[in-house]
Amino acid sequence: MNVVPSQNLPSKSFEDGEEAIRFILEAARSAGATSADALFISGVEETVGVRKGEIEKVQAAQSRGIGIRVFAGTRQSSVATRDLSPDHLRTLVARAVAMAQHTAEDPYAGLPDRILPPAIDPAKLFPEESHSPSRDELVERALATEKAALSYDPRITNSEGAECSRSHSHIVFGNSLGFLHGYRKSSYALSCSVIATSGDQMERDYWYVTGPLWEKTSDAEGIGKKAASRTVRRLGARRIKTGSYPVIFDPETARSLIGHFAGAVSGSALYRNATYLKGREGTPVMNACMTLREDPFLPGAPGSRPFDGEGLPTRKKTLVDEGVLQTFLFDTYSARKLGRQSTANAVRSLGDGPGVGISNLIVVPGTSSLEDLMKKAGKGLLVTELIGFGVSTVTGDYSRGAFGYWFEDGAILHPVSEITLAGTLDEVYQNIVDRGSDLEIRSSINSPSLLVEGLRIAGD
Amino acid sequence: MPDIVRFFEDRVESTTESLQSALAHVALPSTVDDADLYFEHTLREHYSVEDGMVKKAGQDVSQGVGARIVSGERTGFAFTEEFSPRQIAQALESARRIAQGPGSGRPLALSRPGRPQHNLYPTTDLAFDRPVPDKIGILETIDRLCRQESSKVVQVMASLAFEDKTVQIVRSDGQVVVDRIPLTRLNVSVIAQEGSNRQTGSYGWGGRTDFSGIVSPERLAQACREAVRQALVNLEARPCPSGTMDVVLGPGWPGILLHEAIGHGLEGDFNRKGTSAFSGRIGQRVASPLCTIIDDGTLPGRRGSLNVDDEGTPTQRTVLIENGILRGYLQDRQNARLMGTHSTGNGRRESYAHPVMPRMTNTVMLPGESDPAEVLASLDRGIYAVNFGGGQVDITSGKFVFSMSEAYYVEKGKILHPVKGATLIGNGPDVLTKVRMVGTDMSLDTGVGTCGKDGQSVPVGVGLPTIRVDALTVGGTN
Repeated sequence: MNVVPSQNLPSKSFEDGEEAIRFILEAARSAGATSADALFISGVEETVGVRKGEIEKVQAAQSRGIGIRVFAGTRQSSVATRDLSPDHLRTLVARAVAMAQHTAEDPYAGLPDRILPPAIDPAKLFPEESHSPSRDELVERALATEKAALSYDPRITNSEGAECSRSHSHIVFGNSLGFLHGYRKSSYALSCSVIATSGDQMERDYWYVTGPLWEKTSDAEGIGKKAASRTVRRLGARRIKTGSYPVIFDPETARSLIGHFAGAVSGSALYRNATYLKGREGTPVMNACMTLREDPFLPGAPGSRPFDGEGLPTRKKTLVDEGVLQTFLFDTYSARKLGRQSTANAVRSLGDGPGVGISNLIVVPGTSSLEDLMKKAGKGLLVTELIGFGVSTVTGDYSRGAFGYWFEDGAILHPVSEITLAGTLDEVYQNIVDRGSDLEIRSSINSPSLLVEGLRIAGD
Repeated sequence: MPDIVRFFEDRVESTTESLQSALAHVALPSTVDDADLYFEHTLREHYSVEDGMVKKAGQDVSQGVGARIVSGERTGFAFTEEFSPRQIAQALESARRIAQGPGSGRPLALSRPGRPQHNLYPTTDLAFDRPVPDKIGILETIDRLCRQESSKVVQVMASLAFEDKTVQIVRSDGQVVVDRIPLTRLNVSVIAQEGSNRQTGSYGWGGRTDFSGIVSPERLAQACREAVRQALVNLEARPCPSGTMDVVLGPGWPGILLHEAIGHGLEGDFNRKGTSAFSGRIGQRVASPLCTIIDDGTLPGRRGSLNVDDEGTPTQRTVLIENGILRGYLQDRQNARLMGTHSTGNGRRESYAHPVMPRMTNTVMLPGESDPAEVLASLDRGIYAVNFGGGQVDITSGKFVFSMSEAYYVEKGKILHPVKGATLIGNGPDVLTKVRMVGTDMSLDTGVGTCGKDGQSVPVGVGLPTIRVDALTVGGTN
């Protein structure tokens, strides 16, 4: 270990992440660890909620925590805490080293072979903020959003309210090889959920925006109206007959469909024998119209980061090129275990050591509008909501509850509820025959609408 | 064992008196209906095995104080992770800004902490009392037993996690309650392979009980046998039919049906706001006369049980549906006050960092009069579902789903073959009206449930006898 111990030991809790990490790495060395790493996260959050024109809740949070992993040769253990006083940290690190004596020798365990500088200046990933809103501004924006939703249509009869929030976090990571870097990011969110009634039918829906700048939430009226229109259009839903139909996943549900793929291409799942994609590298795993990219440098996107959960520099990559699987995703451990190189896809949380995950995924969009996709499909279902957990990336089986709209000849005829979609992930991805032009970066997984041919729908 | 009454006094950086004097400055306006401080210290430990090696072991210390002020429908909430009187007073001051009016009212009083009236969980023989090699040995045993069960087992992943939570709830009505709450959870998950066919099986168990019982040799053997059996059954599974058909649910964990289909819809917050499909329906028929459903937080040692809820209210047995008639909702203090009733001891929170909401504890359908074998024999064509993964509900439209992890296709009362996992979807307000038979064999789940609501996770339990439900939609591929 070659970390320089910090000079002035505070007797009170650490406020500064870098100082805390230096102290911990030194404490680990003293306690007999052969190597160690630590993640520090601190954050400030404020959330206001309004309902029916009144403030309903105000929440303020200030938190910080540290996650520590220690190695005794090729054995390891991890600890996490919210108590950042030096005495407690020293005791906890010693306990971690003692625990590590009892875990199994694992020849693949350990820090990355070497350290490299972060891939990009964090300032380029997270835009500079010109304005940080007060609590009153959060309240005002939430009120304006809900008001627009409630006055949108007389069938909007009730509200679950609107919420506006800001959060600012500081992430610092260091290891005993000498890596010590951090970055700060902010996130603002505005959401609204309302209820529409018709006869004895009641439906709820919502809309939200989130982004790294306060300006992202500026269209309060638009968000309220969108929440309301999404809710009202659900009224009058009925079931359809059981059968196989073309299905269009809208961008929100397509995101969830592509999310399962991100789980199946994990190197951890691969060495555990726990993915249906095992042995499929270099072969078609999606329809030839599909290209999937990972981009950790998308400015302001929620998954953007200059280094991964083990401090390795992140990089862009193509996961699926015209349907063909280019690579699995690896952290250091899964790569070593399979004789591969890390793809800088380690993700790390306070409570757990590194695992494999993605930064930002993007499905390359096509040129068709939603109407074009509906016309191409003839008649079928446009899915706008999926619920339940009936997806296994081990077997590839896929079965979920759905809500959507029945369309014919390019036009929506009526809403559809209480149905399920089922197939296998492999079939579903292979049968994506077209994708829309409606890509929007709203999350860490982003997709345009996707048209899937012949999916089993259970209904009447 | 530490004296839990003194637990936080020892941790708050100074005396009760100095905390008291710090709090005295935070005078509550008269518009405040309720206020509380929730002190929490939780120690967690976890171990996991995969590839035949116990590679991961860890500890997690979580501590903080949540401050909450309630005024009418408004809630102000803030928390601190430092047990200092200054920080606690600051959190309370921040939460207080929700309430209107000058701060001329009463200060928050600290009285001598008291223990809950009932005691549902042990305070000795906890997992923390065992040396680390014992706990690692348990996972090594699980790995070995599973591989011995069948040569088709290609992967065993198992985990052991437990927590020791100490809480002190200080309420503005002068009540102070302390409790120490243990929780243990084990899980075994195996992958069996035959050619290119790869299937999973799993078994989980645990609760707020003594550690010796949870990890007895018999319990470990049973868990491994079950997990492997399920994976082998799934290797034989054929595609599941799709469409509307009659379904028999096995006893125990399939009770997740109750949790999703009606439990969430009966939580006080949704009903106070009129956003639940069950709003305003007390006294109406919502289920077949065969159905009586309770929520019971007082079952000793169960995962969903608590001596007191997270507002210090003793837990109770609440009748939700009696012979098919809707009788009651699940309440915390705020929603009960606004609906003119009493808390049912269902005010729960994930941690000091989360506000209280009405939540379920153990949600159970009481046994009926049918022989379970007759229930299955009555099925002309349909699905017999004995185990499930997770579920989800839209409480406004009432639509709910849950996914089967072990199920069989049945014709003329005979099991023909296992079917692949599929989602079931139904409509909460009417699914229980379609319950045709209720078995005598009520059993509680093995202690695996975690319920998510508004981003907060809390442990829960369910219980169900074998029941037959007509006309559920089965999301198969055939």
